[in-house]
Amino acid sequence: MSDGPINIRDLAVGTRLVLGGGAEAEIVDNPRDGVWLFARYIAAPGDPALVGQEEMIFAQDVIEVRS
Amino acid sequence: MSDDRAARLLLTQEIAEFLYAEAELLDERRYDAWLALLADDIRYWMPMRRNVKFGDDSGREFTREATEIAWFDEGKETLTRRVRQIQTGIHWAEEPQSRIAHLVTNVQLLEATPAAAAATVTAKCRFLIYRNRVETETDLLVGKREDTLRRADDGWQITRRKVILDQNVLMSKNLTFFF
Amino acid sequence: MAMNGMQGYRPGLVDLATGRVSREIFVNDDIYAQEQERVFARAWLFVGHESQIPNPGDYFVSRMGEESVILCRDRAGGVHVFLNSCRHRGMKVCRYDEGNTAVFTCPYHGWSFGTNGALVGVPYFREAYHAELDKAQWGLVEVAQLCSYKGTVWANWDPSAPPFLEYLGEFRRFLDLILDGWDGREGQAEVIGGVQKWLIPCNWKFPAENFSGDSYHNISHRSVDLVGVGPSGRSRRDYGELNVARKLHVAIPDRGHQTITYLLPRGHDPQPSYQNNPEVAEYFRHCEAERRKRPGPNARLIGAPGEIFPNVALLPRQPRTLAVWHPKSAHQTEVWRFFFVDRDAPQAVKNFLRDYYIRYSGPAGMTEQDDMENWNYAHAASRGVIARRHPYTYEMGLGHAVEDYEFEGYRVPGRVIDITQIQASEEPMRNLYGRWAQFMEAASWDELTTWRRNDKTALGREAVAAK
Repeated sequence: MSDGPINIRDLAVGTRLVLGGGAEAEIVDNPRDGVWLFARYIAAPGDPALVGQEEMIFAQDVIEVRS
Repeated sequence: MSDDRAARLLLTQEIAEFLYAEAELLDERRYDAWLALLADDIRYWMPMRRNVKFGDDSGREFTREATEIAWFDEGKETLTRRVRQIQTGIHWAEEPQSRIAHLVTNVQLLEATPAAAAATVTAKCRFLIYRNRVETETDLLVGKREDTLRRADDGWQITRRKVILDQNVLMSKNLTFFF
Repeated sequence: MAMNGMQGYRPGLVDLATGRVSREIFVNDDIYAQEQERVFARAWLFVGHESQIPNPGDYFVSRMGEESVILCRDRAGGVHVFLNSCRHRGMKVCRYDEGNTAVFTCPYHGWSFGTNGALVGVPYFREAYHAELDKAQWGLVEVAQLCSYKGTVWANWDPSAPPFLEYLGEFRRFLDLILDGWDGREGQAEVIGGVQKWLIPCNWKFPAENFSGDSYHNISHRSVDLVGVGPSGRSRRDYGELNVARKLHVAIPDRGHQTITYLLPRGHDPQPSYQNNPEVAEYFRHCEAERRKRPGPNARLIGAPGEIFPNVALLPRQPRTLAVWHPKSAHQTEVWRFFFVDRDAPQAVKNFLRDYYIRYSGPAGMTEQDDMENWNYAHAASRGVIARRHPYTYEMGLGHAVEDYEFEGYRVPGRVIDITQIQASEEPMRNLYGRWAQFMEAASWDELTTWRRNDKTALGREAVAAK
């Protein structure tokens, strides 16, 4: 678990993220604004239809970076 | 103290004194004496500054030397013409002449080997230039300078001056003085 | 507003019949505020050059009037100009000067916009907005009209303004003198990296009027003429052929554009110039010879200072630059100066010219410095209540302009005064302030497209036919 906010600005494409509600996503593009990431859902227990979709992910929704 | 360290301290002091004396010539408007401190092959360069993203390593924060626009990028011929222009007495941007004070601080030697008998020295410093003209017109310009000096027969000569002004939009109407 | 009893703009503040212009139009804060609406929100303004944004995602932050705008190339290659202000709470979405990006993200609440201006990121869109915000309505504010002309990008906030080329009218050939190659090929100019930006303490109309064609103020540059700054180390410029050219003031009526220009005799051979640098001399000899072979109006013209209404100054001949006088307040202007070279020129030529440009122009320019001193204290000394009672005179050459000027088979457009012998006139300034007053009075662009009714030229007839 991370101890606090994560700086997403310099995360590499391909990095896996843990989001709220147990969802997981992989970064497909990083505009390096520190606020948004473009990511593809890998798992979405609350809304399985999201899996495979690309969405913009807000920095405050990123709970953990999978190493 | 090692001999080398002592030599370096002495050299630092010598260079600082040279830079103070140079500032004195400018502030006293002794421009011909100031020109004599400039090597014939001097390059006097003051790039412009851009706002760039943290970590931008493209070098774009500063306009590029010798290919992009700068505030100054010139040699002794043009510097001499600037002095001559002031000395015409009809260069209206400096007539009546401005009251100028150069403060030079934080003098650091970057390159000087061997310290005891270096032929060329590169030194960095901070500058604060205060200009007041006509009645209440006042400018404050602050930044860094990197000077390369060459040992000549009768003292040091400046062969290169890089002026880094800490401003983006220039907040002075003109640059009629020397850095 | 307190304006010493003067009413309206014409004939009160701008009296073209007597050539008198009130100082109020320079120093009055209320007039300045009105100018932002009437002039800068309606006129075509210069934003930048496509060579500054060659690739998708490239952007250059510019200004239009008092406001920050983003000139940007979207991912599909389209060029846009956006107001640099978030639609949610107004924060600037870009505070870098230039760069390349996928999105413009507001640091305040995190709204994010694509390079096409679309609102793409809204934090807690589903949760806090219940997915009810219509994102399509909240993209970045985009200019109403944009025109890319030979690489230069011009923009306009007013959808009812005429297209840029119609706005430019017959002044186009003078702008071409900067944008075409020195050899006359179309659109060969590129901007040298680095735009000079600096603040000057005067109203924007002081420099606008000066660049309109003030050939009377040469005396203020006496010091630089004495010490020499020109490409051959003499005087200010390298202009051998000017001794045989006609020197003209050209004012395009109803448009507010005006310039000095030099018109060469027919069959004139190029003169040697830049002789102390053989590579540069050869480049210009070649270009001048090529230029003279090309058909079109510019083979015999040599550019000189001019002004495109309202705030863009051109200097087509060396130093080859465009300057924009961005208003900051009635009493302060932010100057942006763009320098141009032929993109195909050898690097040695570009370097030679760049050195010359910056010792001539800009805040360290040995010529421009003296101009700024004059504008500074002319403005300052015009602010008092007594000073404001006394208008400036612009009567020099009043009534002496002709509309059918021709020299050895070349017909010059607009109202012309031949100043070859007489040195100066104030026809260009009368044209500038006449147009300025029209803008200040007109309720809509319908009243400003006067040429659609008046012009006898082909361009005017085309415009009427197109309407």
